[in-house]
Amino acid sequence: MARNRAKMTFLENNTSRKATFRKRKEGLMKKASELSILCGVAVAVIIEGEYSSVPEVFPREDVGSVIDKWDKLSQADKDKKMVNHEKYLKQRIEKAKEKLNKVNKENREMEMKELMFDCLRNKTAPCFLGPNELRDLGVFIDQYIKILSRRIETLTNNQGSSSTSVVPAAAGTTSVAMPTAAMGSSSTGFNNMIEENMNEIPNVKDFDLNRCSEE
Amino acid sequence: MEGNMEKKSRGRQRIKMAKMENKSNLQVTFSKRRSGLFKKASELNTLCGADIAVIVFSPGGKVYSFGHPNVEIMVNRFKHINQPFPNPTNNMPLSEVQPHTPIQQMNDFLTQVMDDLETSKKKNEESKKKRKNSKGPENWWENPVEEIDLAHAQELLVGVENAKKVVADETSNFFQVFPHPNFCVGSSSGAFFRECGYINPNLDQSEQRRMFNVNTCYNQNMYPPIYQLPYGNNSYAGGYVPDQYNLNCMRAINQYQNQNQNQNQNQNQNLGFRDEGISENERHQDGHPPYF
Repeated sequence: MARNRAKMTFLENNTSRKATFRKRKEGLMKKASELSILCGVAVAVIIEGEYSSVPEVFPREDVGSVIDKWDKLSQADKDKKMVNHEKYLKQRIEKAKEKLNKVNKENREMEMKELMFDCLRNKTAPCFLGPNELRDLGVFIDQYIKILSRRIETLTNNQGSSSTSVVPAAAGTTSVAMPTAAMGSSSTGFNNMIEENMNEIPNVKDFDLNRCSEE
Repeated sequence: MEGNMEKKSRGRQRIKMAKMENKSNLQVTFSKRRSGLFKKASELNTLCGADIAVIVFSPGGKVYSFGHPNVEIMVNRFKHINQPFPNPTNNMPLSEVQPHTPIQQMNDFLTQVMDDLETSKKKNEESKKKRKNSKGPENWWENPVEEIDLAHAQELLVGVENAKKVVADETSNFFQVFPHPNFCVGSSSGAFFRECGYINPNLDQSEQRRMFNVNTCYNQNMYPPIYQLPYGNNSYAGGYVPDQYNLNCMRAINQYQNQNQNQNQNQNQNLGFRDEGISENERHQDGHPPYF
């Protein structure tokens, strides 16, 4: 829709306010009518504007019958889903905040995943991070360790039966994506680190999955 | 578009103005339209100051009602319309609609939240798009965990657990006292916002750093500001991490990276890393600045 979301504040300009009132009132009545017809339900609208001493109502002729129906209700039934303006806005705010928190949480998780891998790939390091990042990164890493361990567990459980078993990492022959030529390359200065790491990576048998259950 | 997105709804369709036949569609329609009607009523009052009441009976017989000032008053007024003691003034007085009433404040707040929601959603979509593009066999770690093979997963686990230690270590530099149970909101937006636990995204960063709660990340009532940098407000030395600081654990990933480095001058495949050098936000308490 073209002109989105008018600013939701009282219109000080008398002319605009009058025009807006007229149009929106008409639109509202139309919507009330449509709701009533499409869903086959009783609807009543009462509007008291500043331009008329008489309230405008829907249904134009027969609003009384809906009011009667309303009167017959118990106070409890009336109150259950009754809202005044403040309560209504509060509800909307709560819903919007929930959505917002959900989206932000997802965004943050994606950020942290990226950050974690950047650290692992030496594009950055934890020492450069501020407290917020460190905290959230820590949370993410913990989560990630959990699901990663579960994945490993599933795979190692299935490995017993399958013939296409994957070679353990410690053997030094990693999977296809890793060109073995680069192992010996000295051009980038990572050589020392590589050799160091080769001793550090534990043998698969030593892998202790129980470590990952720490909270 | 290759039609990889399934249509979530049928879209805008011209509807017949008669009672709907499909019962569940009717229920959905009722729910949506009732909600929309209340919204229109709320807006009519906010914009024009008109008093209003809306009463709706549901297909199941329940009643929903919205009223400003409230439903009961409006119904009573309506019922007593022909009573003696008529209103002396010709024009009905407007209900309270000055700019600083609670209603106006709440409307403003709601608008703010909705705007933030829109921004966050956009960011969300962009990130997801970027993720999709960067997936591939050479970026196996980007894949969801379910798709990572055993060898990679095991190696990755080592690296990640190592990372965890380093992060915990770094974290201990910041958090010496145990965290507060409540997150403090130093917002300047007034008591109302504070009550609702809403943080102004434009909050001063240094103030933010003073407030923390390790145990309530993703707390319902807080969310991090929307930064422009990839993450956080700390930039770092563009791409080069000196030996003593890097994690040294993703051998497999790093090998591939090095191989690529000769091919790509710009390694900015993901993000706009800025070669700004260390910002003033960078922390090195121990007096060993990284060298370049």
